[in-house]
Amino acid sequence: MIPGRPMSLPMLRFATDRAVIPLIEMGLLLVFALLPFGLNSFWMAFATRVFILGLLALSFDLAWGYAGILSFGQALFFGVSGYAVALLATRLGITNAAVLLAAAAATGLLTGVVMAAIVLFGRKTPTQVFVALGTLTGSYVIDRVVRGWALVGGQNGIPSVPVATLAGVALEEGPAFYYAALVLLALVYLGLRALVRSQFGLVLAGIRQNEARVGFLGYGAQNYKGLAFCVAGAVAGLAGGLYVLHEGFVGPGQIGPVLSTQVVLYAMFGGVGTLIGAVLGTGLIELVGHFASQYWEIGWPVVLGLLLLAVITWRPAGLISFIVPERERKGRYGARKDGLS
Amino acid sequence: MYDDHSARPVSLSRRLLLQRSALLSGMAALGAGSYVMMPSESWAAEPIKVGFALDLTGPISVQGLPGANVAKMLIEEINAAGGLLGRPLQMFLEDTATNESLAVTRVRKLVQNDDVDVVIGGITSSMRNAIKDTIVSRGKKLYIYPQLYEGKECQPNLFCTGPTPAQQVDTFVPWLIKNTGKRFFFPGADYIWPHTLNGYARRVAERNGATTVGEEYSPTDQTDYGALVNKIMSGNVDVVFSTLIPPGLPALIRQLYEAGFMKRGGRVASVLYDESTLKISSTAEVEGVASCLDYFRAVDDPFSRKLHERYVAMFGPKNPLSAAGGSTGVYRAVKLWEAAVREAGSVARDPVAKALDHAKIADGPGGPAEMVPGTRHVRMNMYIGVAKGGRYEVVEKSSGPVEPHECGK
Repeated sequence: MIPGRPMSLPMLRFATDRAVIPLIEMGLLLVFALLPFGLNSFWMAFATRVFILGLLALSFDLAWGYAGILSFGQALFFGVSGYAVALLATRLGITNAAVLLAAAAATGLLTGVVMAAIVLFGRKTPTQVFVALGTLTGSYVIDRVVRGWALVGGQNGIPSVPVATLAGVALEEGPAFYYAALVLLALVYLGLRALVRSQFGLVLAGIRQNEARVGFLGYGAQNYKGLAFCVAGAVAGLAGGLYVLHEGFVGPGQIGPVLSTQVVLYAMFGGVGTLIGAVLGTGLIELVGHFASQYWEIGWPVVLGLLLLAVITWRPAGLISFIVPERERKGRYGARKDGLS
Repeated sequence: MYDDHSARPVSLSRRLLLQRSALLSGMAALGAGSYVMMPSESWAAEPIKVGFALDLTGPISVQGLPGANVAKMLIEEINAAGGLLGRPLQMFLEDTATNESLAVTRVRKLVQNDDVDVVIGGITSSMRNAIKDTIVSRGKKLYIYPQLYEGKECQPNLFCTGPTPAQQVDTFVPWLIKNTGKRFFFPGADYIWPHTLNGYARRVAERNGATTVGEEYSPTDQTDYGALVNKIMSGNVDVVFSTLIPPGLPALIRQLYEAGFMKRGGRVASVLYDESTLKISSTAEVEGVASCLDYFRAVDDPFSRKLHERYVAMFGPKNPLSAAGGSTGVYRAVKLWEAAVREAGSVARDPVAKALDHAKIADGPGGPAEMVPGTRHVRMNMYIGVAKGGRYEVVEKSSGPVEPHECGK
């Protein structure tokens, strides 16, 4: 909100433009807050896992949907942080969730800095394809390293990660973990929402649309992208740490190209560049995959694949574009209302 | 998208498709639901729930599908014979998709949502590691792991029904020395099972007077073994004791064959080779390949033969009942658990675990099997098989059941 404007103005615009995203956000938050009262323990754990993977999808959406960095290696941050948490918990016996999650986010951030230095800050300004392949390769390389490294359990990963505690409460599967994950997801979501709607986000949107032009205006576009990439790394790292605490194990599958690609699909399915689309996409893909596997246990990946193909072919803006108008999806900055951002 | 990095070669996909459609038609023929098999007759009592978590899709599905078939066959049989404790068995089958992260959720469904009384499954060691906490420590359920593996899994309520390194190596390596030669080479895929098994086999070989020419590990999906074949040929190796897995394994065998290793009297030994894996390579290439497992088709006791006939009648010749993929382990898991439940008179975890600790079955694929008390591993017959004309011939049978030598015994 712009300071000095009367309070009624945003409300009025809200009514006339029929902004849908805030409605979805409020609705989802309400549903998620009340959901545990109607769920058994399996579905609560299922939802918790969706929240955590949703965090990962958010991080991809920040990188691709806003900064235009096609990060095909988002699982790298997720997995490296997961291993960090698993090692801290099993080797050093640290079970304080606040410490572990801070370490996870920091590891993700650090990995992000390293990857950004390699992929984004080379001698020449990298092309889209270079970044996509560079991040994918990074994730693949670490996947291979981890599989062959006995210290971190090799192919077998690290099982039996102890249950962590948060402010004296054991974070076991169930309501405690559910709400912890939900609160974290909501906080990160709000943080990212504020970030992409700030001046910083405006520059990112400019870069996404036309990087050269933003450069001509005097912005160091690469620095903005690098920053967004590192923030995305920290968010993915946080998700990775949380995932390990919830599932109780970490393995190479959480680091490699398979999960990296899956995250891209979560966000594409829901709709990139909206944040909420990434969360919705994660939930929908996981639900469809689950039910498809219940009814066709050996053909469910085909069902999922066809569905994704259909959405990406006919609805490239994702499922969210069915309910969110294009102009709102692209976002508005300043007073322009013609949607040409 | 759910393929593991160690994906099978493309030429196999057609075969996989055929296998999967075979399973599907098998399921259709049974008239059972695809994921939950309800007892067909009307029973007054509540069903006992048996959960299976197997890789039905992804690179390991060749091994998971026969296991699922065996499970279906046994559940049907037990129900047809009056069930267990007067109650029918209800089968819950989840696809773990060769994807550990996904598998945890699927297994959690078995444990928390379906509230099964026992979980049987997991094929790779990485899968076992990923799901065991969800079942045993967090889920407080009984877990039976059916596949041959590297050993050292010693925790309460986790039982293993597949062969251990001791069972696969102790008689096999001396046989190889006697029948082939003393110069050994140990190639393996770079993960824990090959390292552990090669290490064990190497110690047994050297204790029996063999020489180790080399021990080398390669990434799980490497298919070019030129350098390795050179070393094997120039080192005058007699036995290549391989713990590679497909797609590396058939590639190494082909390259050794082309280099003339087999022609000059060398032999490839792989305890992962059974009837289904044998078919990956051409008949000429695998001629003479030796393996040591708890069951081969050629095992000539009346029970094993009848079991094979029944299996083929139900599911056809695709996805054969074979030992290296864990389907014979699934057989022992279900039957030993059944015996334990009968003895305990209950399906509650603790009494069943107590009875399972010394459970026995008189008949199974390859012969009788029994738990070694206090170890949660199985004592059973082992067979040495040599490939001849595309099938395995049993050349030696263990003199009685072989000890697993796990968990301190």
